[in-house]
Amino acid sequence: MNGKPENRVEKIIAGLLRGRRLKLRGGDAEEKEAILAAARLAGARQGPQRMHPAFRKRLAEQLGNTAREGWVTRRTALVAGLGLAAGAASGVLLGRGGGPETVSTEQVIEPTDGRWIDVGALEDFREGQGSRVTAGGVGAYVFRTGAKVSAVSSICSHLPCELTWDAADSHLLCPCHPAKFTHDGKPAVRYSLSALSKVHVHVTDQGRVEVLGTA
Amino acid sequence: MTPERPTGEQHQAEVVELPVAPRATDIALDELELVYAFIYARVGNRADAEDLTQQVAMKAIPRLREGAPASAIRGYLFATARSVLGAFWSTRLGLSEAELREDLALASPPPPSPSVDRTETVQQILSQLSDNYRRVLELRFLHGYSLKEVAAEMHSTVGAIKVMQLRALRAAGKVHPPE
Repeated sequence: MNGKPENRVEKIIAGLLRGRRLKLRGGDAEEKEAILAAARLAGARQGPQRMHPAFRKRLAEQLGNTAREGWVTRRTALVAGLGLAAGAASGVLLGRGGGPETVSTEQVIEPTDGRWIDVGALEDFREGQGSRVTAGGVGAYVFRTGAKVSAVSSICSHLPCELTWDAADSHLLCPCHPAKFTHDGKPAVRYSLSALSKVHVHVTDQGRVEVLGTA
Repeated sequence: MTPERPTGEQHQAEVVELPVAPRATDIALDELELVYAFIYARVGNRADAEDLTQQVAMKAIPRLREGAPASAIRGYLFATARSVLGAFWSTRLGLSEAELREDLALASPPPPSPSVDRTETVQQILSQLSDNYRRVLELRFLHGYSLKEVAAEMHSTVGAIKVMQLRALRAAGKVHPPE
């Protein structure tokens, strides 16, 4: 049913009219003209918009930091700017050279009635590689460093999309927009983005990895 | 290390504070309000508008020269905004720059007030549609009716209204907004 163009476009319109961001899928490109028109109509219905005070404040802080740090030379700015544009178009992202801004403080997933779920033996987790695990309703990427493990949520902090592990680049990538994260959940992009939520994980005395998830 | 005592003359001198020239970043922040309105009018939601405005700021601000006039800063920010919006639509819908020409068209930066009346622009676009198409889009977008309410108002079914809405949007997408 949702495959019909009128249903797909209606879903996008309903989201826009509720103030949600544009959620587009591959097939939506067929209706690009209709979607552009819908976005334009949604943007016009309340007249010219001003920035939300909290966003303006955040932006002002970032601009202040930019000025104080001297930030970058013209050349590095140019390279970064071109990189960002290219990243937006191709999904390839910048490194962390400029230092990303994290919007909110790091959060830890604390499931109601959480329980430790066995997700495998420590030796099954490859050093430095992200392994996708499921602990009931909690999806996570587990990283092993020697005998220690850490875990972050497998859902992007920005759009509700499932991250993928890029072994070549050693980053978690969001398939829905140009964003990537390091193994400890920190954003590796130049624009402001929240860190990934942490997930509780430990190694038992028997050498088993357990993640705090749900039943 | 005795502190130097001020002479009588210095003590009585009035301190005149000279006006401080606004920094390029301060000017840019005000100009970014216009950029935000420009972007919001094209993506139709706050979250995407904030993300894109932020991208514009991060790309453009490091390249602004101190002492640059506000008009130059605005021009540069809008040029960057067009590039960022172009990348946004290109990534999500595979739209080429040529296809976005009308939507991003702004031969020169807008006036200082964000009162570029988008509602009026939209009315002009709607006025070029057939009565039914215009009605369905007006009810849905400008009056905030649900599909069910539109169907009741237009004495039709939800399914038929959904199809009509899509056709109306396709038609609206072909209308070139006035410059």
